[in-house]
Amino acid sequence: MQKMTLPERPQWRDHARDVGFTFADMHGEPYWDETSAYAFSLAQIESDIEDPATELHAMCREAVGHVLASNTLMDRLAIPVAHRDLIIDSWQRDDPEIYGRFDFAYDGNGPAKLLEYNADTPTSLYESAAFQWQWLEDQIAAGVLPEGSDQFNGIHEALVARFGEVFAPDTQLHFTAAQGNPEDYATVEAMGWAAREAGLGAHYCDLEKIAVSDEGQFLDDEDRVIGTLFKLYPWEDLLRDDYANHIAGSQCQFVEPAWKALLSNKGLLPVLWHMFEGHPNLLPAFFEEDIADALAGTGAPASDVAAAFERVAAQLRAGHVTKPILSREGASVSILKAGEIVEQAQNTDYREHPRIVQAYASLPQFDGFRPVIGAWIIGPQCVGIGIREDRSRITQDLSRFKPHYITP
Amino acid sequence: MTKRSNRVAIAILGATAFTLAGCREDQVDAQAFPDLQSCTDQVTPGGMFSAQDCEIAVAEAETLHLESAPRYDSLSVCEEQHGEGACGSEASATQSGSGSIFMPLLSGYLIGSMLSGRAGMSAGQPLYKTKGGQYTNAARTSTFSGNSGATKLNTSQFTKPATTAGKAPMTRATAASRGGFGKSASGRTGFGG
Repeated sequence: MQKMTLPERPQWRDHARDVGFTFADMHGEPYWDETSAYAFSLAQIESDIEDPATELHAMCREAVGHVLASNTLMDRLAIPVAHRDLIIDSWQRDDPEIYGRFDFAYDGNGPAKLLEYNADTPTSLYESAAFQWQWLEDQIAAGVLPEGSDQFNGIHEALVARFGEVFAPDTQLHFTAAQGNPEDYATVEAMGWAAREAGLGAHYCDLEKIAVSDEGQFLDDEDRVIGTLFKLYPWEDLLRDDYANHIAGSQCQFVEPAWKALLSNKGLLPVLWHMFEGHPNLLPAFFEEDIADALAGTGAPASDVAAAFERVAAQLRAGHVTKPILSREGASVSILKAGEIVEQAQNTDYREHPRIVQAYASLPQFDGFRPVIGAWIIGPQCVGIGIREDRSRITQDLSRFKPHYITP
Repeated sequence: MTKRSNRVAIAILGATAFTLAGCREDQVDAQAFPDLQSCTDQVTPGGMFSAQDCEIAVAEAETLHLESAPRYDSLSVCEEQHGEGACGSEASATQSGSGSIFMPLLSGYLIGSMLSGRAGMSAGQPLYKTKGGQYTNAARTSTFSGNSGATKLNTSQFTKPATTAGKAPMTRATAASRGGFGKSASGRTGFGG
């Protein structure tokens, strides 16, 4: 894994404007940044990212069964009691998943370490699947990258195939996102393109305009019944909205399905560590309330995690991260080393939630930037990556998207 | 065997994924204004609208207001939707109205260019306050951030809303029949991660 300085495509901003990629620059800073790119060997991609991510997704599915069997764990993941049956039913029906994105710390050597799983509403799909792909094609054609350069990016094809596998031909799908956010909308649109390519009907409706019919079915802004709804809006919020009680009786299939509420939750991380302690791609993780006193040296860990805690206590004391179980874009994340806060997110939107403690995995630094590898899962498989980098240790919403390639 | 897709539709962002090719909706120049005076004040020679357009649109919107304003079965339900002090009784708005039906006060107009006379359309549409300090149309299907300013809008924004006069007013349950998603975590703009 290397960071390579490369000439930008001369016309890329025009191209971005032509295709409506309006957030290529955001808040006066570049978001899409092709002044450099990350280069990988095929072995790094296949052995260190692709296969582990596919395996991790299978482990996460095991974790769903484990959490659903335990009311204690459902409590710890703050799953509203009133909607647990909805989640259990979606799992027992095997409601299909479409996509998710693992975020990894990886420096080219040794196993990638799972930071978190955006299993419910991952964004940056368009940049990863389409704009990055075009970059590679253009740079090979321009001779900037050697013939035979490749990219780990079968995202679009896999999405089309997945939609085709999950839905009968001509099924009408609705797509929704909160109004007025071009980034979220771009992800939904990339989804809509893939669905249409798979022979399905794709319709869009702003989230705020969805209605409920007298029969309890969801309606779009033209009062058409919504049979299948892809929502770029997290389950933790859906389950706390006014319409939460309508979901179960709506006869509407949700994508991602309700059971994804268990995976997009940071409480997944201690569950995974408990089930697969020592797995090379996992970082030690615990619920904060179980180990906070022990970590501070003022008490004992909870008895059922005491042994596991002692095995990694030195590692955690050297450096750990605390994260609210529900948090996005790095909000309310703190990094502590030897008891001192070394970095703390400015955004504190999620601070009221319970937290988990995860061993700190230092991100590699390239020219002062720290990349995080986003590994895309479509269906059960890892099919591509997108990289975002930040000067900060906490990847936030202003982080830049960087293209990558595989060296021939 | 490459690890990338063979072919990626470079999706043109901006609604095209969700509309049939060639079926893109017509757009028209549109303007919102709080009252007739602010419309006529903005009339310029060769501008989008003439003073007469303003008057016609306001008259159309006021007619629609009486026919099609959201109607509620109590003041409190109306105020839940439109904010405190933003509602009055049907009787005070119309001569033949009921004192126990409540309607939001008209708080602005939306005018679209070159739509007058088209079947099922009305170039002048009433605007009402929402509880959140925005503005909505009579069918409550569109929300606008303000009640003044020019923009382009789909012609469907100028479809005549369904008549509500003489129909059963909305109860608390039916009034809430739209907009029950998206309220969590207000203040955040995006929800992806």
